[in-house]
Amino acid sequence: MEQMDTEVVETVAGVARLLRRAAQLAWTQADVAGPRSSHQLLALGIDSAADEASSLLPRRAQLDGPTPVGDNPAELLASAEQLLRRICVVGAPARLLSLRVMVAELVWEANTGAGK
Amino acid sequence: MPASNRRTVGELLADSDALARDTLLDVSPTTGPAMARAWGQVVQSAAQLWAVLPPASLAPASGPDLMVRLRVLGEGISRSTAGQWPGPGPQDQHLLEIAHNLSRARELVERYGGDVQPTSADARADIAAARARVMHTLYVGAHGTAVALRDYAADLRDRLRLDTQRRWPVDSRPNVREIEAAEAMASRFEVFEQLAAGYVAPHPVTASVLGGVRPTPRPSRLQSALTAWEIQVHCTLATVPDAADLVRIGRIQALIASAAAVVTEAAGQKTEIDPEMTDRVAATLDASQVAWSRLAKRWGELTSPDSRTDPALTRAAGEVRAAIAATASTPTGWATPDQIASRVDLRRTLKSLHLSMVGAVDIAHVAQEVAATQPTLTGPARVIAMRAQGEAEIAKEQGVTAYDGITWATSQQITANQLIPLPEPARRGLVNLTNDVIATCGRAVAAGPLDPSESAQPKRSGGPPAQRRSGQSRTMRRQERASEGPRR
Repeated sequence: MEQMDTEVVETVAGVARLLRRAAQLAWTQADVAGPRSSHQLLALGIDSAADEASSLLPRRAQLDGPTPVGDNPAELLASAEQLLRRICVVGAPARLLSLRVMVAELVWEANTGAGK
Repeated sequence: MPASNRRTVGELLADSDALARDTLLDVSPTTGPAMARAWGQVVQSAAQLWAVLPPASLAPASGPDLMVRLRVLGEGISRSTAGQWPGPGPQDQHLLEIAHNLSRARELVERYGGDVQPTSADARADIAAARARVMHTLYVGAHGTAVALRDYAADLRDRLRLDTQRRWPVDSRPNVREIEAAEAMASRFEVFEQLAAGYVAPHPVTASVLGGVRPTPRPSRLQSALTAWEIQVHCTLATVPDAADLVRIGRIQALIASAAAVVTEAAGQKTEIDPEMTDRVAATLDASQVAWSRLAKRWGELTSPDSRTDPALTRAAGEVRAAIAATASTPTGWATPDQIASRVDLRRTLKSLHLSMVGAVDIAHVAQEVAATQPTLTGPARVIAMRAQGEAEIAKEQGVTAYDGITWATSQQITANQLIPLPEPARRGLVNLTNDVIATCGRAVAAGPLDPSESAQPKRSGGPPAQRRSGQSRTMRRQERASEGPRR
């Protein structure tokens, strides 16, 4: 994997934390909505994005930190997307660019009916 | 050269099939464990032969190979028989002979079959017949082993009841855990049998139809994704899985149950299945979804910031999610029955999801083994101590006093919320939740609208499936009953 500088690593770690929190909230919504909740699709999508963000980080990177503020998965996803936008500059690693696309799709999904 | 080694591939396969049928005739209560021990060799030999047999068609393979799925299931069963139950011991000679025959057939195909190409109808028919024989051998062998294991467990239960009535010493009575282990193993063989049935039905082994094999329809994206998922789950669980892996497995299995319920209702509304059956089936699927979700949440308590999901599992999960979304969802939620019917063949989609529920039973059994025996399981001290205490109190209510007065974590561990090994009561809680999953999946499978042997039947075709054994529905009822784990 391409080497990332410290600032990018910290930003991706922040993205991973946002995504994990968003997934947690999305799963709570899904569980409350009952066995046929379509929120499961969004929650699983966020889980995958969180996994991808974590896997971009070096093994020694610290993922524990303050729990992101907010109780709306869509807003947390939007924050993650904004962070990614800052580091997805020309020449950024391909997997980082893919992660941004994935998160952008989840923001859209969360703001349409399935994730609401 | 001994006469037995001069047999042709066809003779070896016919003999294997006959030996598999013999397992049904020679069942005695003591044969089950020996058959379970030998099964891994049978599946391995069958898979190796399958891999060297030329293709039955010139067309490229159209989707995931069922034999890959069966091989993975067989490997899981082998690990369990060696490491859990029944453990080392004698192996069934019938099954070992089948394994030997299939290995010998593979040697012959490797040595002499290299130039066989499916260019003529006769050659294609021969190859298709050979494949049908191999799969039928596994189908019947799995059934025979499941029957033997059920008999074994039933025999032990009878003895336990009698010994208890006679007040014989506890040490000399059959062990309840062994009975449960035998029943769980039987359930896994029934899963194997059901999956093999999906191939056997459109490829029957009878004199009149050998060589006249019906084409298998091209698998859908959903079918491919579900098959790949099931294989990946077994691969991930065969290593040292992280708690995060178990969370993802539970969540995806819950999604599959939800999707199956949505498609079942769609099929009911479009009168593809008996509408009266729809509510009953959907209710069992909903119960299965809830059980998987609860299990996922409990595993989630064991994760830490360092937990990582197996990347291959994440990829397979992503494909299942995408395939289900493409089949049954819209930007605003689940698709309507009309929308689903316009995208996919409802009966085939339902069959794929139903077969996935069959596979879910085996996945749950493997997950239960992980919960019960994985020595590296750890979790954050605070939640683990709370869970362990909760389970200990439940145990106390049931008369178990073994956990009285035990502290599950030190104050330092609690303060720092350190990762600590999973104490026995917390482990037991995971096992109980997994038993609930096994029971609900069993009920969902038993209530399922489609028997696997009805694969690829045209819409409302009527008439019996191509091949169905009278014992099949009975087998599933037994599975349901046996899968009912301890209740809370």
